[in-house]
Amino acid sequence: MFFYYLKLGAVNLKRNPIITILMIITLAVGVSAAMTTLTILRAMSGDPIPQKSDRLFYVQIDTGPVGRESDNGEPDSQMAYTDAMNLWRAKKAPMQTPLIGTSGTVSPDRKDLSPFFVSGLGVGSDFFKMFNVPMVQGQPWTGEQDQTAADVVVISKALRDRLFGENADAIGKRLILSKHQLTIVGVLDTWNPLPKFYRLVGSNRYGDHEEFFVPIPVVTEKLEDIQGQVNCSGRPEPGFAGFLKSDCTWIQYWVELNAASDRDGYFDYLNAYVLEQQKLDRLPRKVNNRLRNVMEWMDRQGVVDNDTIVATWLAFAFLGVCLVNTIGLLLAKFSARPGEIGVRRALGASRTEIFAQFLTEAGVIGLVGAGLGIAMTLGALAYVRHYARDIALLTNMDWMMLMVTVAISLIAALAAGLLPTWRACQVLPAAQLKSQ
Amino acid sequence: MEVRPILSTLFRNKTAPLLIAAQVALTLAIVANALYIIQERLAAAARPSGADEANIARIELSPIGDMADPKSIQEVDLQTLRAIPGVVSATWANQIPLGQSGWNSGGLSLKEDNENASLSGAHYFSPGSLIDAYGLKLIAGRDFTQDDVFDHDPDSGNAAPKFVIITKALADALQPGITNYNELLGKPMYGVAEEPAQIIGVIERLQTPWANAGAEGEQSYILPIRYLTGAFQYAIRSEPGQLEPVLKAASEALSKLRSDRVLNSQRTFAEIRESRYANEMLMAGLLIAVTLFLLLITASGIVGLASLWVNQRRKQIGVRRALGARKIDVIRYFLVENVLITTGGALFGLVLALSLNQVLVRQMEIPRLPLSYVGIGMAIMWVLGLLAVLGPALRAAKVPPAVATRTI
Repeated sequence: MFFYYLKLGAVNLKRNPIITILMIITLAVGVSAAMTTLTILRAMSGDPIPQKSDRLFYVQIDTGPVGRESDNGEPDSQMAYTDAMNLWRAKKAPMQTPLIGTSGTVSPDRKDLSPFFVSGLGVGSDFFKMFNVPMVQGQPWTGEQDQTAADVVVISKALRDRLFGENADAIGKRLILSKHQLTIVGVLDTWNPLPKFYRLVGSNRYGDHEEFFVPIPVVTEKLEDIQGQVNCSGRPEPGFAGFLKSDCTWIQYWVELNAASDRDGYFDYLNAYVLEQQKLDRLPRKVNNRLRNVMEWMDRQGVVDNDTIVATWLAFAFLGVCLVNTIGLLLAKFSARPGEIGVRRALGASRTEIFAQFLTEAGVIGLVGAGLGIAMTLGALAYVRHYARDIALLTNMDWMMLMVTVAISLIAALAAGLLPTWRACQVLPAAQLKSQ
Repeated sequence: MEVRPILSTLFRNKTAPLLIAAQVALTLAIVANALYIIQERLAAAARPSGADEANIARIELSPIGDMADPKSIQEVDLQTLRAIPGVVSATWANQIPLGQSGWNSGGLSLKEDNENASLSGAHYFSPGSLIDAYGLKLIAGRDFTQDDVFDHDPDSGNAAPKFVIITKALADALQPGITNYNELLGKPMYGVAEEPAQIIGVIERLQTPWANAGAEGEQSYILPIRYLTGAFQYAIRSEPGQLEPVLKAASEALSKLRSDRVLNSQRTFAEIRESRYANEMLMAGLLIAVTLFLLLITASGIVGLASLWVNQRRKQIGVRRALGARKIDVIRYFLVENVLITTGGALFGLVLALSLNQVLVRQMEIPRLPLSYVGIGMAIMWVLGLLAVLGPALRAAKVPPAVATRTI
């Protein structure tokens, strides 16, 4: 009987064509608005590293001068070189890395390729393991090379392909970066987490990823080039050496602990560190540290912006309007057919059967609406991709979202169909037959 | 007016009118809030930067390794740029309004003791005239001369500029309530460098590279500094309509000059503005689309249900016509009925719009919705409802009185 009802439903699409088309468009528009915003929201607020997001912590130390504290009491989002190096050398966490934005100009060995500008990161060797960075060739430099300004570099797959050709073996080859010769020790596999949760400060969160990674001393002793946010409260002494000595904040610092519960232990260490520094006449403010895991840090940094949340709310309210509208239109469509119901009832159909028939018909409309809704969602995401290059990479719909779209559309249509169907069942056969 | 019989008919058959009223209420709540957010975003994106936007571009070059004597390289570059036909002005400039990256200094003050000052401003500097290169409007004092320019090598010393030009917004923040900007001329401004810099000019407007909301987005100042680094960043102003060819010629000429640096970016101001406000425009665009679709859908719902009523009531309409009602009376019946339903929905929508806004205010720090937007929304709903019901009403008016005699 179900397939017969399905067929009836399909045939009945042609009945009151204007109302049917209105209903399908209404459903499709509502569903696509809700799905478009939901896709963006989900991509923006998802856990970028679910295996260990509760064990990776972002460290903040309050470095500023007394008397100019910010209103909300929040310490600066980055730390000074001195503190980062002290924490790094102390190695009180199982794994840790400072993170410094940098850049350089690559001079290719090939004649046919002119020099080009690339951006990169100075990190510790733990960085790759901490953030599950996949390698397609070679491996990161060693912990011993962290401190020695070893001339080693890990490059992205894209940079390798550009310099040496696709899938070429780059290990051991040299990279001339702003006149410094570095040896390539590793090549990343495709790795572009969005948002760029490991570097939320001073870089485009949804933009391009870094193309090279070097030990931190390579940045501070050779490249001497800082990219990102720098915040100074005093005036550093001249030159790069003076800058390193200053309390300017420009380094981001991550630690990985063995378990989320080790957090208090490390936090105690941080507080003790600040007290110790105060004896050396540094860090004049009262102890004000922060230790936030990945999701807390993303929340603090406002990764999901208010616009996206507002848009999602409005889109679901919009879907609500579409549903109310569909109910009205279905009501109109179904109540135009009391005669048909009367005849069927008189011929022995039970109310349940009428109910099943009309609900199936509502379901058919939902399916067609879902199809159109998916097409419109893809269109809307293409629009978003075109106008906001920032979030372009976020807007790919996956199978999961596709299924959710179909389900929402179908449930919406069935829910909308309940009231009209129930009303259709109230038709009294006798009354209808009389007036035929 | 026949309001009473219409009302009693509505109450007897509640479902459909309730659905329309609910739809009107929801639509009104969303449209009023969306219109407000759209207006806010478009207003933010339309704020002027103070620069001659149509004719400005920026070129950046990055050095390959260290560069000796950046001063003479800058001079050769600028001579080359100024020789290009169509170039009105060219200078080295550390940043550009709306460029989204740049320098910011805190602790600005007219007094020496500024330990607690939290006033900050965007820190522009250039060895030439930014007033010329960006086309800014000077409202008091004078521009820098070549004698004012101070060479600064970041590797060996700290900048000590003697003079500064500030924006009106920064002047207002430094000395609240100021009316005559000439008063500030000759006064020292602290916080820029070791020594205070003397204010010699006030410009109408110059947005910061971040163009934040409110007055903060226009708190900027300019210093006459020649910065001796390998970062070559030029501002170019062209004759009207000449920007595209000028920018192309400039990029080619600079690339040809030396092989030890890389052309990093070349952008017109229009591109810089577009990139700064991409998110605002996207949000406004999506909300406009949502609003239009919503109105369309609500209208379609009213058309659908009104058509249904007309069909259901053909006999009654026929009877009324047979009893002497004119066509206009039938049309008026449907219009009045629609106004009643819309009004009911709109009143409920008013409450809904304000509660939705309340949630947005509390959760998203969005400013409170002015009541005028709800008023505009209600007016839109009335007009929309009347337009939507007009078609079915006209069809109802065409029902011939003879229908009354056919089946009864």
